[in-house]
Amino acid sequence: MAARVLQQCVRTLARPSLRLSAANLAAPSAAPSAAPHRPVSFAADSRRTRWLGLSPVPSVGVLCRQYSDLPPLTLETIKDRVLYVLKLYDKINPENLQTTSHFMKDLGLDSLDQVEIIMAMEDEFGFEIPDGEAEKLMTPEEIVQYIADKKDVYE
Amino acid sequence: MAAAYVTHQQKVLRLYKKSLRHLESWCIFRDKYRFYACMLRARFDDSKEEKDLMKASMMLKAGEEEFWTNQHPQPYIFPESPGGTSYERYECYKVPEWALDHWHPSEKAQYPDYFSKREQWKQLRMQSWDQEVAQLQAETPAGGPQNEALPPARLEGALPPLWWQYVTRPRERPT
Repeated sequence: MAARVLQQCVRTLARPSLRLSAANLAAPSAAPSAAPHRPVSFAADSRRTRWLGLSPVPSVGVLCRQYSDLPPLTLETIKDRVLYVLKLYDKINPENLQTTSHFMKDLGLDSLDQVEIIMAMEDEFGFEIPDGEAEKLMTPEEIVQYIADKKDVYE
Repeated sequence: MAAAYVTHQQKVLRLYKKSLRHLESWCIFRDKYRFYACMLRARFDDSKEEKDLMKASMMLKAGEEEFWTNQHPQPYIFPESPGGTSYERYECYKVPEWALDHWHPSEKAQYPDYFSKREQWKQLRMQSWDQEVAQLQAETPAGGPQNEALPPARLEGALPPLWWQYVTRPRERPT
């Protein structure tokens, strides 16, 4: 049973053009035994959907397995997440928010607000930013560079 | 670090941050935490306008004492920060880059492009080392350095001092 599942997996991974035929093979091969029918077809379905989901973004190393780790960070995703969190903050006007907009000079925020923003970034990315370095981060661009520096993200 | 001491503003901000973190550990539900965080922010904002440094220092001291009595016994510590579960977990796997020089030639032949580039980087390091040392000797005050901050590269086209250690530092999560 497990060997049959692994066979299906190897076949779908090795020949993605034939994944439809592999799915067709899954249905009649699982028909004789009712118990593995659902796991086999589910495995084939998940392989298919995973393959479909992987194909748009093959360039980042997503093809390697993640084993319950988070998807790898890229500069684009870090920037999007930082700007998303900043837009959620109610003291910031989302229209004039740029990556180079200074918190104090352009957006008119306070140092307490800056601390809150850094705390929101810590919550978003899951690691702590020490106080000495947090007080120097004054634009979203600097925050993105700092996070990329800490997380070893580069092009 | 910028200077050898912490300014009053920095102390206030640090107190604010750690009190918010401990408040987050106490109020686990997000809306309750948000409510009490806003109350705390209002308290900080009221006393923000104080110009007299004596009174401000006394208020800071009172705030620190209040923080000490109200702190959480087991606050949430991020995994990567000191005291967290994953702090220095991968330190033992971080091999320094000079270990690459000790590879066997057959192993080095498996990555010819990388090692040829590495030779060029090492040449660059040899050339810039004297300038880095000269810059550090010029810019360090007499009696030793005050803090760990390194000065940036002053001249155009020069490399900042001790750049090799920074550039070839091991990754955060060594595979």
